[in-house]
Amino acid sequence: MSNGNNMLNDSYLLQNLAVLRNHLAESYSLVQIQKDNDGEEMWTEQLGESNVPLFGHKHLPLASPKGFLFAEKEALYKFDGETFETILPQVVPKVLFGVQACDLTAIAYQDKFFEFDPYYQKRREHILLVGIDCESPCSNGFCAQVDAGPHVNSSTADLVLSRLKLEGANQLSEWLLIAETEKGLNSIKALALEKADEEHLRLRNKLLEKVKSEFIDYSYINNAIEYLNNNSIPIKLWEELSVRCLSCSGCTNLCPTCSCYSTYEIVNKKPEKTISNSKVLKTETLRVWDSCLFQGFQREASGHNPAQKAAQRVERFWFHKFSDEFLPEFKRYGCVGCGRCEQTCPGTIGVHSVMKRIDQECCS
Amino acid sequence: MSRTQVKSVCPFCGVGCGIGLVASDNNIITVQPLLKHPISQGKLCAKGWNTAFGINRHGRLTQPLMKKNGKFRVVSWQQALTHIAKKLNKFISENGPQSVGVISSARATNEDNYAAQKFARAVLKTNNIDHCARICHSPSVAGLKKTLGSGAMTNSIDDVGKADVIMVIGADPTENHAIIGGQIMQAKLRGAKLIVVDPRKTRLAKVADLHLQLKIGTNIALLNGLLNIIFAHDWQNDEFIARRCEGFDTLKAHVADYNVEKVAAITGVKGADLVSAAKLYSQANAAFLAYGMGITQFVSGTNNVIAVSNLALSCGQIGREGTGINPLRGQNNVQGACDMGCLPNVYPDYQNSTDKKVREKFSDAWHTEVAKYPGLTSLGMSHQARHGNFKGLLIFGEDPVVTDPDRNKVAQGMSAMDLLVVIELSMTETAKMADIVLPAASFAEKKGTFTNCERRVQLIQKAVEPPGEARIDWQILSELAKEMGLPELMNWQTSEQIFDEMTQLTDSFSGMSYPRLEQNNGLQWPCNKEHPDGCRCLHSSTFPIGKGQLISVDHVPTDEVPDHDYPFWFTTMRLHFHYGCGSMTRQSPLLERETPNGLLFIHPQDALDLGLKSHQGVTISSRRGCVETRIEISDQVSPGLLSMPYHFKEAPSNLLTNNAMDPSTEMPELKVCAVKLVPLPENQPPRSSALSDAGIGVLQ
Repeated sequence: MSNGNNMLNDSYLLQNLAVLRNHLAESYSLVQIQKDNDGEEMWTEQLGESNVPLFGHKHLPLASPKGFLFAEKEALYKFDGETFETILPQVVPKVLFGVQACDLTAIAYQDKFFEFDPYYQKRREHILLVGIDCESPCSNGFCAQVDAGPHVNSSTADLVLSRLKLEGANQLSEWLLIAETEKGLNSIKALALEKADEEHLRLRNKLLEKVKSEFIDYSYINNAIEYLNNNSIPIKLWEELSVRCLSCSGCTNLCPTCSCYSTYEIVNKKPEKTISNSKVLKTETLRVWDSCLFQGFQREASGHNPAQKAAQRVERFWFHKFSDEFLPEFKRYGCVGCGRCEQTCPGTIGVHSVMKRIDQECCS
Repeated sequence: MSRTQVKSVCPFCGVGCGIGLVASDNNIITVQPLLKHPISQGKLCAKGWNTAFGINRHGRLTQPLMKKNGKFRVVSWQQALTHIAKKLNKFISENGPQSVGVISSARATNEDNYAAQKFARAVLKTNNIDHCARICHSPSVAGLKKTLGSGAMTNSIDDVGKADVIMVIGADPTENHAIIGGQIMQAKLRGAKLIVVDPRKTRLAKVADLHLQLKIGTNIALLNGLLNIIFAHDWQNDEFIARRCEGFDTLKAHVADYNVEKVAAITGVKGADLVSAAKLYSQANAAFLAYGMGITQFVSGTNNVIAVSNLALSCGQIGREGTGINPLRGQNNVQGACDMGCLPNVYPDYQNSTDKKVREKFSDAWHTEVAKYPGLTSLGMSHQARHGNFKGLLIFGEDPVVTDPDRNKVAQGMSAMDLLVVIELSMTETAKMADIVLPAASFAEKKGTFTNCERRVQLIQKAVEPPGEARIDWQILSELAKEMGLPELMNWQTSEQIFDEMTQLTDSFSGMSYPRLEQNNGLQWPCNKEHPDGCRCLHSSTFPIGKGQLISVDHVPTDEVPDHDYPFWFTTMRLHFHYGCGSMTRQSPLLERETPNGLLFIHPQDALDLGLKSHQGVTISSRRGCVETRIEISDQVSPGLLSMPYHFKEAPSNLLTNNAMDPSTEMPELKVCAVKLVPLPENQPPRSSALSDAGIGVLQ
């Protein structure tokens, strides 16, 4: 949590979000949540047009902005027969405008994981994160229970927006805008903004308590986390649940903290020109998102597979999301409580289904 | 640099999940599930998630190719089309329109398919138009036409969630229609009862309340046996039978012969289990019955379907929510390919091609004469080619060399043709055998419609440009029609024009238009005056033929049974991670990594008895051919039964399969034949049966 005084120094009031948006759009490519005619919400790069942005409450797109930082598919390096050459991504500055607390927490988590990854970091340094406090729980969300929301953790964004509803509010919203980083502060320097005062910060905290109180208390999640860390879950339970794992990879694709990837080579069978008399093999090495739920994920060249059984793979996934063993490195659980896995799993073994079943089994 | 998104429909199976295509720099870089899609609701299976690999630029054909002296050379579109037109005209004038034909793609759009049958009938003047439904659900189309009057899935996918009993016969939905498979598992969690009828212990069989692991090829005995039990206990739906069926008395008398003891002996299923299944299904408030290739791919395929229909009709489990006879159509648009009339015996919307009035209607609409004589099926075309009567074939997006039965015969047929033109995304085994290969646009590179298994016509949108000089199927046919002297006939500028032309000539689609499809997440046919917003449940008050027909059918043995020379039963299956001939899914390193080391699935006891080690190389042979691969020890099969997936060109199971046919549909008996197994010497790796680039077999 930020020091109260610092926060006050860099806190402003904003009546019209468009002012901020348009200002940032001058220096950054704007990326924000857009809703289409079917109600589908997606993180979309705005190509010049202004669309009404969607914020926070009830608008958690199924796909997080993970792909803007950790690319779904990208070239790493190429080989022309003699030399290896790194292919770093070509980037333009982008602003992710209106990222919810859960996804920001996940980005901070991935920042740690990919700390020494040049590809991730090249994109990362060109991204401005504008977070937004959520005003109500989303359908599968339990961010409060895993310390990932509903308000933005100050260390996870450059700018934070929080809608203040004043007592006896009129129709107009008033936004609290907090610059959390140097980068954030610089991005709004040119705007003449009214400063916020203590009253506004207190109101934000009051609103936080109100939102938190609206969350369903999924006690089975806390219970199941305990059972998991106590090693109390019988193997039979994982076997029962894992029969339903189709290895579709939906959970790992949508989980905003999942970071596993695989590399492969594309070989150009017919090189454009030969160099002297050597056979020129032009290859390009790419990386793509992988999933630990695939049987082949951990299979070794000998054929031996430490995670041969689906039960082992499913157990491993939840271990990675809820084990205390990752706390020293990441300071938090891998799960940010977004609930996307529950929605996308065709086998009904997303986080709610699994934790409920664990609680049920281990309680008795 | 920036990402754009387009909403479309998954190109793999018949579920028709919504899928978001994310593009950057004219490349699909990833896909996303769609939360608001009524069927998929934010889910995708492994194949769907790996869609981008399947159409990636690197593996694609980008220019027309013509084979000269055994090697493919790049030619221009004009050269290719002129050559094709010249040859086709020659064959037609010398040998008649019966000597040429078209195989359309069940993966291409309704617009592509409509164009294909129009080209065949109005340009080539032939009814030789067919597609892979021939070897998949043609018995469903024919069988249900006889019993109900319509061959499509009677209910909707979400009826799974409204059933208290679900029965799955000869299908593996968690692997092949994974989102539906998931819904079945979820229904079970919520209290529905699940009955699985399958010779293999599939994933659903593992979670089922009842798994009837019948001997392969005994479907009719089992189904008649269930009816015998139902009638004996008076568990049938008398009210429904009286009001809506015909033929009950005959059927009842007929199945009296199929008593429990006899049926248990034929099927290998315990009498008590047969009784439990009969009771569950007949006494359910709403029983949803789904079936697949395990019913259709037999010489008795059509009769198998009729037996299924008899069961559902006798129990009144049709025409209401949560019920139905639900053939799981396999491909993303095989329903559409059938609906668009890419079958020798019907025009779009199943209007009979032998009916003079129908021919006149289309002749008038198209301002030209149409084909006069009955057409050949795909197997018929192959057969006639081998006998020198069939000269020229256009194949769109289909790989019969890998996916059709009796590969040696298929290859002979292809070689015998004077002109084989293959229109494809990539160089498949069939494309290797072609005289001319034309580069096709994929689903992400065109606008059009797909029809999923629940009759839902959905729009797909263009996300990127086709690579190189690749073109859309209907564009290619349009150009070819011009080359062949009919410039006005297929002169479309957009796919919407084709769709609108089609809706005016059909009843089931007459209420549809692109704007309506866009507003509604698609529409389920029939969509006409009677059902202006489409129809989620067919046959709710009456059947197209009036009353449902109960038709007596008998158990027949399969064409081949194991004997001294070929002692094992052999069947075919699909794996979750691959699709069809593998031309798309095997481009994904993640899916390819899931390919098992061994492709011949064998029971541990059989492996032990034969002294086989895990993943040992073996030769499997049938009367038709042989294949070398490794074994995969599995408890999915039973002793005496071997199984292979058909996705792998290096070990094509179809070198072994039997093309003995179901008489009414020419459906080949892909699901069963007899084989023998000989281990390869230890440490000798299996040899690949993949064709060389020139299309020459290595092993055979």
